Amino acid sequence: MLKKAAVMSALAIAVLCLSAISDAQTDPGVQSGSRGTGAALSSVQSDDNAGILAMFNDGQSRFQEVESVSGAGDTGLGPRFNSNSCSSCHAQPAVGGSGAANNPQATFISTGVAPKDSTPYFVTPTGPTVEARFPFYFNRNGSANLNAPNGGVEDLFTVTGRPDAGSCSLTQPSFSAARAANNIIFRIPTATFGSGLIENIDDSTLLSNQAKNLNNRLGISGTFNHNGNDGTISRFGWKAQNKSLHIFSGEAYNVEMGISNLLFTQDRPLPGEEGGGGSGQTGFPSNCLNLSGKGYPEDTMNPGQSGPGVLDDASAFANFMRTLAPPATGPVVLNGSTVPTSSISNGAALFSSIGCAACHNPTPGTTQKSNITGSLSNAAVNAYSDLEIHHMGSGLTDNVAQGGAGGDQFRTAPLWGLGQRIFLLHDGRTTSLITAIRAHNSRGSEASTVEGNYQNLSPSQQQDLLNFLRSL
Amino acid sequence: MVRRRGRVMRWVFRFLVILVGGGVLSYALGQDSTSKNAVRNGGDFSTAADGATPLVKVPEGVILVKGAWSSASDSVTPLPEGGSVSGNAYQNDYFKLRYPLPAGWGQQYEGPPPSDSGRYVLAQLRPEERNRGIRGNILITAQDLFFTPLPAADALQTLTFVKDNLESDYKLEQLPTQTKIAGRSFGFMAYWSPVAQLHWYLLETEIRCHTVEMVISSQDTKLLESLLLGLDKTTLPDEAGLSSGKGGGSVPVCVKDYASSRNVISRVDPVFAETKYNPVPVRIIIDKQGRVKHIHFLSAFDSQTKAISDALGQWRFKPYVVGGQAVEVETGIMFGRVGSAAAARGQPSAIE
Repeated sequence: MLKKAAVMSALAIAVLCLSAISDAQTDPGVQSGSRGTGAALSSVQSDDNAGILAMFNDGQSRFQEVESVSGAGDTGLGPRFNSNSCSSCHAQPAVGGSGAANNPQATFISTGVAPKDSTPYFVTPTGPTVEARFPFYFNRNGSANLNAPNGGVEDLFTVTGRPDAGSCSLTQPSFSAARAANNIIFRIPTATFGSGLIENIDDSTLLSNQAKNLNNRLGISGTFNHNGNDGTISRFGWKAQNKSLHIFSGEAYNVEMGISNLLFTQDRPLPGEEGGGGSGQTGFPSNCLNLSGKGYPEDTMNPGQSGPGVLDDASAFANFMRTLAPPATGPVVLNGSTVPTSSISNGAALFSSIGCAACHNPTPGTTQKSNITGSLSNAAVNAYSDLEIHHMGSGLTDNVAQGGAGGDQFRTAPLWGLGQRIFLLHDGRTTSLITAIRAHNSRGSEASTVEGNYQNLSPSQQQDLLNFLRSL
Repeated sequence: MVRRRGRVMRWVFRFLVILVGGGVLSYALGQDSTSKNAVRNGGDFSTAADGATPLVKVPEGVILVKGAWSSASDSVTPLPEGGSVSGNAYQNDYFKLRYPLPAGWGQQYEGPPPSDSGRYVLAQLRPEERNRGIRGNILITAQDLFFTPLPAADALQTLTFVKDNLESDYKLEQLPTQTKIAGRSFGFMAYWSPVAQLHWYLLETEIRCHTVEMVISSQDTKLLESLLLGLDKTTLPDEAGLSSGKGGGSVPVCVKDYASSRNVISRVDPVFAETKYNPVPVRIIIDKQGRVKHIHFLSAFDSQTKAISDALGQWRFKPYVVGGQAVEVETGIMFGRVGSAAAARGQPSAIE
């Protein structure tokens, strides 16, 4: 009897130990305490370069405007769009950030934003706010045409049936067919805090980092994406496909909200809607053009205004993002208790030692002298990114090429602000840091060895690393 | 009268057929021209209701849309990235290297394609799932010395550079020193991370003008010692050595800068159809008559591959002579944008 009890006890202990091992690491999760994220750069707050604070405030206000198709107020939405406001996507943990916990796209049908559309199968109330792309065009039988790469954004919604959209009637892209053909990928919004600092790092600094970083024993060799117009290093977007914040905001205004502007001057049909993939289509029908009734571009400068009001929206957005302060680090709460600072500092050291910092460079450089405001001059950019593009392997590939980046190449995602991000990786497939780290290991990934180093750490070391990441 | 009446009736019938048929046709046309909501197949739209043809799906987890990638002018000549793990060994025909894997180890995933700085991930080995009690990595890489961004001409210089530029996270355990692996000379150094308690052992030799590096890492130093001993079972070519790996024998001799003006008799520059901004490192094998026999693009877009192939096919070199005999020679040329680090070291460039 005693012997049996001893065996049972041993078994119970073994089970407990196994349980402890499997639960040994916990992602502390999204840190809810305020870290002051979303504020202006300190020099902007003190109006260094008189008028810059007014410009920030104006841009922040416009960033939150809800656009209509026509009528009074802010117009130009559509005919196709993913959302009707910048801040509806860039919301977490503050205006300018990444996707929020509650996806506004899930309400667009019921609230009349897109009254005649259907909510795409992948849009859920608590899922990530997304844009969708079809890597390949369809053949006429619904197959993916693997010889015809597409990759352009397939806007989720149309203005069909809105009272301010006249007779314009459009069909949503074939999302269900795309799912059936496994021909759909997603992207989530990137956070824009501190982006003015990223914009103001000189190319020579990045090139010097790259040369230095090639001396690693991790199998990592990144490269840069370049702007096709002038050949300089581009740095915004999931594949570093956008050169500047002006380009970034102008493109998003056009692609995500359907609003033509001074940088992208025409309404944008879907890739196949203007003949891509041999569809034979020739763009929007005439009753879907100039829906605002104001002519093109729908967003333009306002010469009759004074102060920041003279700017076009796309410029105001860019100025707002450019002058947003970088995210501050903060304490980490895990299971209701504040994590000791020693754990976070140990995690920071581990992050560097095992090779994460080879790509997620804590400080890729200091900015050049800025002609905008003092805080953008000679400032350390603690972005945790080398701004290079790297092969991330078959597990993360989205088979979308952008500029010089191929289907499996992504910009090293800046990790500043990670502590308060909800959805992770380019498509928001996970909310778990542990899953995101594991996803770095797949066929053809440059990060497999570093992921292996992470797996070689002890459970407590791994926990320190996770705690550190949520402190960012 | 009856006959005439019948003829009239036939005309009336024909007229009705035309009328009704035309009406149906115009109705159909009208539907087509006015129904803007109808889903059209092709482009971004599909009803996917054909049913007659099997649906072609995008294969899961396959990189189909590639950026700059590696390729070669033929599929027969071995390539540095062409090695693989099979039969419990890593085998590479280009380097004539065979490494029997330790028991319980395997390659879960192949590495990335060669980089535009000439770096290869040849194999990345881990304990297999069933063997999770063991924790460590074995990484086998190669660096093309024609395109290296490091100021190092051979394996020992490379290790010395690593030692001199070791990141502050690490402490040296073993200064670069010479050792023998499977009878060939290697450089060896070791360092560790006090915070991660991870140790790295680096072993480096030179084959065909590449440094070939084996990086073993683990928290378990006994495991490292065991893995180190296991390396002695590696098969290597005769040329392998700290600074001796310059090809020859059954493979071409490798010579840096052979594509310089003193050896090129005639050359045609590639005409690129579009502007790209990437470095395009290219290794070529020149035959005994001075013609380009084989082209290996380490990293190039398809359009660059075509333009460079067309051009190199027209280049003529002085035959490379050893001991009075012409022999095949392997060299490197950098097309496109030369990386900043490489440019600073005066790497061979097609743009002279």
